[in-house]
Amino acid sequence: MKKFTHRWQRKSCLVLMLLAFGGAVPLQAAVTADKATIKPLAWPITGKVTSSAGEPLPGVTVLLKGTSNGTATDANGNYSLSVPENGGTLVFSFIGYTTQEKTFSGPGTVNVTMADDARALEEVVVTGYAVQQKKDLTGSVAVVNVEEMTKQPTAQVTSMLQGRAAGVTVVGNGQPGEAPQIRIRGFNTFGNNNPLYVVDGVPTTNINDLNPNDIANLQVLKDAGSASIYGSRAANGVVIITTRKGKDKIKVQYDGYYGTQRPKTGNVWNLANPTEMAEITRQALTNTAIANGKDPAAISHPQYGTASNWGLPDYLVAGNSFGIKGETPATDPSLYRTNPNYTGGNTELGTFYRIVEANKEGTDWFHEIFRPAPITSHNVAVSGGGDQGSYYFSANYFNQQGALINTYLKRYTVRSNSQFNVNKNIRVGENIGYSATDNPRITAVGGDDPIGYAFRQQPIIPIRDIMGNYAGSFATGLGNSRNPVAAMERRINNKSLGTRLFGNAFAEADIFRDFTLRTSFGGEYYANTDNSFTFPEYENSENNTFNQYTQNASSGYNWTWTNTLAYHKNFNEVHDLRVLVGTEAFDSRGINLGGTTQSYFSFDPNYTTLGTGFGGQTNSSSRSAESLFSLIGRVDYNLKDKYLLGAVIRRDGSSKFGASNRYGVFPAVSAGWRISQEEFMKGISWLADLKIRGGYGIMGNQINITAGNIFTTYGGERRNTYYDIAGTNQNIELGFRKTRIGNPDAKWESNINSNIGLDATLFGGVFDVTVDYYRKQIVDLLFNPELPGTYSTAERPYVNIAEMKNSGIDAAITGHFSATQDLKFDITGTLTTYNNKILKVSNGAQNFDAEGRRFNGSNIIRNMVGESMSSFFGYQIEGFWNNQAEIDAANAQARTAADDANVVYQSDVAVGRFRYTDINGDGLITANDRTVLGSPNPDFSYGLNVAATYRNFDFNIFLYGTQGNEIWNQVKWWTDFYGNFAGVKSKTALYDSWMPERTNATAPILETGGSFSTSSVPNSYYVENGSYLRARNAQLGYTLPANLLSKYGVGRLRVYLQGANLFTITKYSGLDPELNAATTTAFGIDEGNYPNMRQYLIGVNVTF
Amino acid sequence: MKKPRYIIMAAALAIAMQILPACKDEFLEKPVLGALSEELVATRAGVNALLIGAYAALDAQQGDQQNLSGGNAWEASPTNWIYGSVAGGDAHKGSDGTDQPAINVIAKFLTDPSNGFLNSKWRAVYEGISRTNLILSIMPKAADIPDAERKTIEAEARFLRAHYYFELKKMFNMVPWIDETTTDYNQPNNVDIWPNIEADFQFATDNLPATQAQVGRVNKWAAMAYLGKTYLYQKKYQEAKTQFDQVIASGVTSNNLKYGLVDKFKDNFDAATENNKESVFAIQMVANDVTNSIANANQGEMLTYPYNSPFRCCGFYQPAIDLVNSYRTDANGLPVVNNYNANPVKNDMGILSKDPFTPDAGTLDPRLDWTAGRRGIPYLDWGNHPGQNWIREQSTAGPYSPKKHVYWKATADKFSDQHSWAPGSAINYVVIRFADVLLMAAEAETQLGNLGQAQGYVNMVRARAANPANIVYTYVDNNDPAKGFTTTPAANYNVAPYPSGAFTALGKEGALNAIYFERKLELAMEGHRFFDLVRWGIADQVLNAFFAYEGAIVPDVRGGQFVKNKNEYYPIPLRQIELQSTNGESSLTQNPNYR
Repeated sequence: MKKFTHRWQRKSCLVLMLLAFGGAVPLQAAVTADKATIKPLAWPITGKVTSSAGEPLPGVTVLLKGTSNGTATDANGNYSLSVPENGGTLVFSFIGYTTQEKTFSGPGTVNVTMADDARALEEVVVTGYAVQQKKDLTGSVAVVNVEEMTKQPTAQVTSMLQGRAAGVTVVGNGQPGEAPQIRIRGFNTFGNNNPLYVVDGVPTTNINDLNPNDIANLQVLKDAGSASIYGSRAANGVVIITTRKGKDKIKVQYDGYYGTQRPKTGNVWNLANPTEMAEITRQALTNTAIANGKDPAAISHPQYGTASNWGLPDYLVAGNSFGIKGETPATDPSLYRTNPNYTGGNTELGTFYRIVEANKEGTDWFHEIFRPAPITSHNVAVSGGGDQGSYYFSANYFNQQGALINTYLKRYTVRSNSQFNVNKNIRVGENIGYSATDNPRITAVGGDDPIGYAFRQQPIIPIRDIMGNYAGSFATGLGNSRNPVAAMERRINNKSLGTRLFGNAFAEADIFRDFTLRTSFGGEYYANTDNSFTFPEYENSENNTFNQYTQNASSGYNWTWTNTLAYHKNFNEVHDLRVLVGTEAFDSRGINLGGTTQSYFSFDPNYTTLGTGFGGQTNSSSRSAESLFSLIGRVDYNLKDKYLLGAVIRRDGSSKFGASNRYGVFPAVSAGWRISQEEFMKGISWLADLKIRGGYGIMGNQINITAGNIFTTYGGERRNTYYDIAGTNQNIELGFRKTRIGNPDAKWESNINSNIGLDATLFGGVFDVTVDYYRKQIVDLLFNPELPGTYSTAERPYVNIAEMKNSGIDAAITGHFSATQDLKFDITGTLTTYNNKILKVSNGAQNFDAEGRRFNGSNIIRNMVGESMSSFFGYQIEGFWNNQAEIDAANAQARTAADDANVVYQSDVAVGRFRYTDINGDGLITANDRTVLGSPNPDFSYGLNVAATYRNFDFNIFLYGTQGNEIWNQVKWWTDFYGNFAGVKSKTALYDSWMPERTNATAPILETGGSFSTSSVPNSYYVENGSYLRARNAQLGYTLPANLLSKYGVGRLRVYLQGANLFTITKYSGLDPELNAATTTAFGIDEGNYPNMRQYLIGVNVTF
Repeated sequence: MKKPRYIIMAAALAIAMQILPACKDEFLEKPVLGALSEELVATRAGVNALLIGAYAALDAQQGDQQNLSGGNAWEASPTNWIYGSVAGGDAHKGSDGTDQPAINVIAKFLTDPSNGFLNSKWRAVYEGISRTNLILSIMPKAADIPDAERKTIEAEARFLRAHYYFELKKMFNMVPWIDETTTDYNQPNNVDIWPNIEADFQFATDNLPATQAQVGRVNKWAAMAYLGKTYLYQKKYQEAKTQFDQVIASGVTSNNLKYGLVDKFKDNFDAATENNKESVFAIQMVANDVTNSIANANQGEMLTYPYNSPFRCCGFYQPAIDLVNSYRTDANGLPVVNNYNANPVKNDMGILSKDPFTPDAGTLDPRLDWTAGRRGIPYLDWGNHPGQNWIREQSTAGPYSPKKHVYWKATADKFSDQHSWAPGSAINYVVIRFADVLLMAAEAETQLGNLGQAQGYVNMVRARAANPANIVYTYVDNNDPAKGFTTTPAANYNVAPYPSGAFTALGKEGALNAIYFERKLELAMEGHRFFDLVRWGIADQVLNAFFAYEGAIVPDVRGGQFVKNKNEYYPIPLRQIELQSTNGESSLTQNPNYR
């Protein structure tokens, strides 16, 4: 009965909401504009209105200034108007174009080219639930030049944003389809810092599948004044995207490019060749023997032999013999036995007889897995529109093959946007996009991935053995890397398919004179599946012997229903008032499924399914549900076009909070003063426009807390809580534990945000400048800090505990000027700074650490109070211990300082190892001497776009850079220290490691084993300057003369050549200073990053 | 004309707004999905499942290569191969020098409180404690449990809790006590918890049945043996003896086998023969369960198999040269308790596998070849140990391979688990086996002056070692071990019980030394050595002698130094001190002399 009541209630509420709004619509009567009676005048004036591209513009309003005498252009852009004979001014206006005024002194012809120039102050900017003119903005809004932005040859809109919008930081790498980390104005949380995206009015957290060609405009709302209207989802900033609409006559546009991506050439990690590796090994063993008082002549190595006959082997392995010189009975090929697709597990593996010849020339593993790869994009768009509505349809095929073999992004997208003008006051329409994506990627983690294998696998190992099967590290003395080529080639059958339908339908009605009612129902449905096959391995020292098929699927939907009522009235050109109220409901559901099965009779990809293996089967699933309900209000008031005031408020309710704290209110106010409109400013001729803005408000955030945060829960998991209580050796029985500690009292966190900025237009519109300074304080930050071990390991609750702040400056400048009649320049520069500071982590610990990598037991990253996110933490190296006397002196001092005869200055100290700095000055090195060694957060980042046109040629170059950030180059852990696993080492290890006669070295002494004083704890050895300047994109285009094309029905044809990532200026010694950012709280570590590729492309834009 | 429209519209909106809150509350109520509420577990079945969950924490594992704290599996291994055996000088860390460097500093007593391994161990064990407390706090809310069952559940839970605290006590000494009544988990470590551990084991002793329907459940006798061990650690020898006497006289296993030593020493280390009469308290391991992972298959020891071998990975936990030398026996088959390194066992350091090597020809205790794998001697039924080829880096960590937890080839399909890059196994970890009880009893008797009784217990252990069933024989066919063993011993074995009156002749100190040494030989590589050395008060002399001897041969322990009055206990994990602080003041106090 209760259920029934609820269901009825829910239904009834929907019905009533519909009735409420639906009922209102018919109320609107035909509202007739007041039309002054026009007295015919004798003098006609005619002309043609065209766009800047030369196309005729129908529907342009032509008005005689100061009167209501006007007309509109016809389908060919022509107009005719009767005017007074003594002359006057004609005003030409059309949505999307700058309004122009032309004076005339009498009858005749006035032709006008309408500029759709984005710099105009009248430019219409889509903000939260509203459309505003740029001059009226009081919040901090970055308007991105979409045309320039989308020139970047990538599939991800988020990647394209890099350097394009001041205040937006984009951190990504070169892997096709890998979404970058995007942050607006620093960090707001230890969790997800992704902004909210609002596409055609529908909020979403994912725009990875959005076709960049479909974007009409893109704005970034950065402060509370502009973004608080999105309330609890606004704290990370809001990116507003509007997709293209049709207008004018039917237009067919094709844009396409094809190109090649080129991996970096040369010895990218500065690795030693096989001969050098033998020498490095000899030196390391010799140094260790001497240090231990052993006879260096007694050293031996399973591959290089004994000291007396040290050298490269001819065979790495033959059966159970390793490091064989010359032919022996063991190397007889008839003994060879390997079954690459073995199904007999460890037992069968034990019967293999491998024979692998040494590759004395050395295998270049990087270039065996990174090869030139093509990139293609084809895009067709059809659009058009008129009085009755508009339509836009597009289709895109994008295929970026990864330079890393068997990685790629293939994506198909279609979009249909249409709007129907039912009558003068009612509009209905839809925007909908569908995408299908196949995107196998690798996950780079800590050297245990194919890129890591490439800087770990010894070069003496060939790709294949004597019979053409894979060769690898199997054999003592070759380390434990895996064959990177094998690892990548075995991914060949790994596929993924992601599909997503995203969009909305809307209806808008102008009711009475000043009200607009709008309802929009939108959302997404997605379904993703991927499958992978794990082949058994046989060539490595640490082989997986099982074969396994894994398939995962996730699907779900969410919907957002938004209803708004907007009021706009201008009172006597003095007061301009806009008011909006509304409601928004959001509901989201999702499921995940996963399964694995082992032991397949055949590895044929057409055979392997979850059902066809005969081994162990496991499966898992999860479901999620969450919802939000919001009330929205905003007021924008403009007095005399000089004084601007904005206020927004939103009340959000979230299913993630308990009943007591379910609702939060997020207000913001902002104001602007257009000083240039004041009389006293009129005399300043170089200042066309100047506005000072300021805003203050509170935003919320609930994205990070888990849906079940309210609840304390119990449950079991086979690997964790089940137990073989009956001692069967094979069966486990059901067990439970506490799985989650609930927090029903969590409340909304507050992101208190203030912003001050100015917008200026200088030199008659040649330069537009926008500068903002902001401060953000996040209090009651929802975080799930680590609890003392005494609490249990149940999932920790999110509590309102942490605090952090950010401040910074965003600046953007755009310039447009002509050097000559034909040579025109457009320059856009952006500058982004953020200063992030953690103020509180928990009531107990003042930090939390991450990224142990191979320093098991200690971490590279410390997020600590007083520092910015993801700081590098460890011991500061101040040099080498150059002789025993230095060590003895330090130890003697330490014993005095500590008054303890047992202490030493520094653990594991020895000649040739690092000397650490005694940070706390207590006379000896302890864990308290660890310090912040660097930060991956830049002092500033910047973008500079220079576009030039000369007659039919256009040229564009985009530079992006970061300054003042550090990189933790963990690759050097593997390559510069002999003792850190028996992989390949660097030339630095051989030619620039400490020796008694080479104390001015880079790396410590070559020795077996690791120590506190060399490589077993994080220290400053790995910290490098990560600043760089990169030519992200350069394009040279040529537009064919229009008269040449018109006879073929072609409106416009442009061809271009393009280069991406053409050059990079950096001091960073690694492969690429641009690193992917795995998580908010731990980034800036390079341990085999997927590098960005240089790209060369050729492209064409055609319009019919 | 206009007015009515405004009114109607406003009214309609007002109605809509009125209605909305009604649906809003419902709309924003989302249940938690895929989890149980307390009401659902506060039942007889639920509480019993919580009890199984508390047993499941014994192996400290939760996922693929992951222990209960979220760290790597081996950081919290219940076998204490790192904290008990490597730290005790039984073994080297093994592998490459910089593989798992946190163990290097533990092995050399250079660890500082920031070592994350110690934090893992702490957290994993406290998870076990929290599971036992959960049983005790939820059980009163479950009305449908019969009183007798209630008693047994509580006794099992308190046995397990005492075991977990025992782990913490011997590792860290001063730790916070958390029980089912605790509401503030930020408890200080300023109270000795031995009385609490005693009380729990006493309760378990008083309330557990002698036998159980399922062999994995603890019983009365296991509780009594553990209580005796608790007394022994506190040097309460009389109380310890009282417990051990009863256990030795009357104890049975949960499956009702009278406690005794199995004939074959190796049967303690084989899944086919486990839960035998020697198994007092064991952690049940399982291979090839339905998880496609080795999480329940002694995952904490996944690294500890020979390298480039049929086990694939990972070459850790290499027995020390010092340990192997300890198995040298004299002409009478007796151990060389003092100065055993004077006549070291020949090894193959520096000799490539392809170059010839002949194993040691002197007399040895056969337990050696069930404890350490050495070149030229059958490695179970896997073939003769090939030396360097199975060793990851001999020049760093020595020539030997571990053996006790390694499964047999003949039954590998059943008892090994290959669902990871390193093997798992179904071989139980026996926390207390009867030989241990006998040697503990011998210790108590010696301390109480009953040397004859003590020698009797030691000789029971030695007699089993001397049983010909414990000799390792050569293969019929070295190239095909499956063909079985010959009757030719693989080495020159000679072991015998102490002659009558030997302990009396040695005196109390000498007898204790003999017992200590016997524990080393019998229980080597089983995670006990370090804790034994500490409670005997000889850790500094034994371990510093070890570093002097072993460090000169095998460099990975060079520079090791045990500092008396400091290294007896591991440092309280720095992370826990930080987490338990309020306004910069921690409720946890660091152990003495750690910085």
